Amino acid sequence: MASSIAAVLRTGSWADPLRPYLDLDRRPDALSIALMVLGALGGAVGLAFVGYNLFVHGHAAFNTSSDMAWGAPIAFYLFFLLSSSGLSILASIDSVFGVHAFYPIAKRCVFLSMITLIAGFSILALEIGHPFRMLWALPFSLQIHSPMWWMGVFYTLDLMLLIVKFWLLHTGQWHTRLTHIVSVLSFVVCILAPGTLGLVFGMMFMRPAWYSPVMPMYFILTGFMSAMAFITFFTAFEPKATTPANVRWLHEATLPRLFFLSLLAVAGMRFGQLLTSLWTNYEGMEANWYVLRSDMLQAELLVGLVFPILLLSTNGLRRNAFVRFAAAVLAMVGIFLARLNLLIVGQIVPLFKGYWAGYVDYWPSLTEWMLVPAGFGIFCFIYGAGHWLLRLDAQPTQAR
Amino acid sequence: MPRWGMVIDLEKCTGCQACTTACQMENGRLPNENWQDVLFYNEGEFPSGKLTWLPRPCMHCENPSCMAVCPTGATYKTEDGAVLIDWDRCIGCKYCMIACPYGVRFYAEEKQKTQPDIREVFPDPDGDRVWGPPWQLPADRQNNKIGVGIQPKNVVSKCTFCYHRISQAPPGTRDLDPNDPNLRDYTPACVVTCAPTARYFGDLDDPESEVRRLIAEKRGTRLLDHLGNRPQVYYLAGEQPAIPETRSVRMRDEGEA
Repeated sequence: MASSIAAVLRTGSWADPLRPYLDLDRRPDALSIALMVLGALGGAVGLAFVGYNLFVHGHAAFNTSSDMAWGAPIAFYLFFLLSSSGLSILASIDSVFGVHAFYPIAKRCVFLSMITLIAGFSILALEIGHPFRMLWALPFSLQIHSPMWWMGVFYTLDLMLLIVKFWLLHTGQWHTRLTHIVSVLSFVVCILAPGTLGLVFGMMFMRPAWYSPVMPMYFILTGFMSAMAFITFFTAFEPKATTPANVRWLHEATLPRLFFLSLLAVAGMRFGQLLTSLWTNYEGMEANWYVLRSDMLQAELLVGLVFPILLLSTNGLRRNAFVRFAAAVLAMVGIFLARLNLLIVGQIVPLFKGYWAGYVDYWPSLTEWMLVPAGFGIFCFIYGAGHWLLRLDAQPTQAR
Repeated sequence: MPRWGMVIDLEKCTGCQACTTACQMENGRLPNENWQDVLFYNEGEFPSGKLTWLPRPCMHCENPSCMAVCPTGATYKTEDGAVLIDWDRCIGCKYCMIACPYGVRFYAEEKQKTQPDIREVFPDPDGDRVWGPPWQLPADRQNNKIGVGIQPKNVVSKCTFCYHRISQAPPGTRDLDPNDPNLRDYTPACVVTCAPTARYFGDLDDPESEVRRLIAEKRGTRLLDHLGNRPQVYYLAGEQPAIPETRSVRMRDEGEA
């Protein structure tokens, strides 16, 4: 199907104005076709399933409740948004800090950052009660004391700057003054956005399991680790024959080491979090002990941190593409679980509901789980198309 | 302009839940969407164990965290002290539910714990609102701007101190005493219905009001005062602690403390 679409695009005269910007004459490779087909299928099935159930049952199709107000959809949304911020940081290493070794992945990271943001926003639109009302009520309210309002401001700016930055890179303007300014602004915003998202949780003094000045830093750091998993996932199987030596070195040595370091940093921070969580007030202790005893936490730590760290612990292992790929997949699954754990620990003890209320009983419904193929479907389809048409491995040709 | 507040005498409260029922009838609440509720606690162990309870409406805080976090300004505080929701501005992000320390905000778009689902038994004829109970406030008294009546779909709801009643009270009213026939219709439903007269409602800024006298003379206390929300609902606990024994009992039962 994708090949026939490509044929139509190659021959159609209406596509002529797009030719300078899109590689319409290039045949899509197997990866692009696979991602677009899988993405279209996953996205269509996921969105149709979620859309139908929301239409018939409303948000009662989710297992969230007045006690567990934020459930798995918010966890999935966090996963995509924080990964996006991490990818944007990664894309800034060259354009802001001048580390030229990262040029080969810069454009790909900007594109990945854009589409993870789009996938996250799509999930949010399905979770929130009135997404269209949000479009006018949020900007016109100027609720500057709400961290969520600032989060909306920064993530909107983030997406706009990423689009401009991608356009500049796509049109070959790697070293212009404008590109540098946009890159610096984008870097500042991609730190502020996840930091503010951290404040959305970290400022909740009434929920001791969340209340922490470290939460913004945790979000930024785990976002970066998640971004490392994303880029490792998509660069693990670059064809050796056609990949230049410096790019292979980046993929096989530099990125895996940075991935390994980011995993160690997250592990250290998580260890500190778990230790400090052992002593807090009653509600916090109950919530923390609940999570400490849960299988979900063990899965998060083993799958998301211990196994990937072991897999990337030596140079020999890091050079193996399958090992890198496996470490990336495990880290992504682990951070996915970490987001869900975070949501649960903050709400598992209901606020002021009496002793009889017990813990909040929550596990995501099938409709909530189907947001995963919906979100990943959107992500994979756009990435596949970008991989085919947008020369994501482009590097600067002009002198600096 | 008064600053309305409530005083609940725990030594008089019998935990009968009449207030909960009156609130549900007055405001057309769904089962489990108890704007006003009575919470129950087990304290101690045999042979000295006992059952305690705590009536809990919205605290209509002086410094409401739910209002601070609302990204659209849908939650606001009136000049006379009530914390209300403008249902036409609420986007259903539920951040206020996360930020309310007292758990008094509700989102009706959830699986019903009691069956049959009453929303399907009494659906809203127009399909705009959460449900269409056979008895509800007259249409001219329902008001989205102050969160009174049956709410539209996908918005958060909460106790309004029966704002459709108290906002009509004659100017200069010091206490809304349900025993006064001239003021009964302006008094919140939970206060009117309370058989042991454990609830008092009046102007917290008026030094001559009954609520001010009770707070001063009977050591009125506020829930979770250390959080800084400064509730406008006060409890008179007598010799008892205002907040019943907390949840730690359950954790000890599981051998972790």
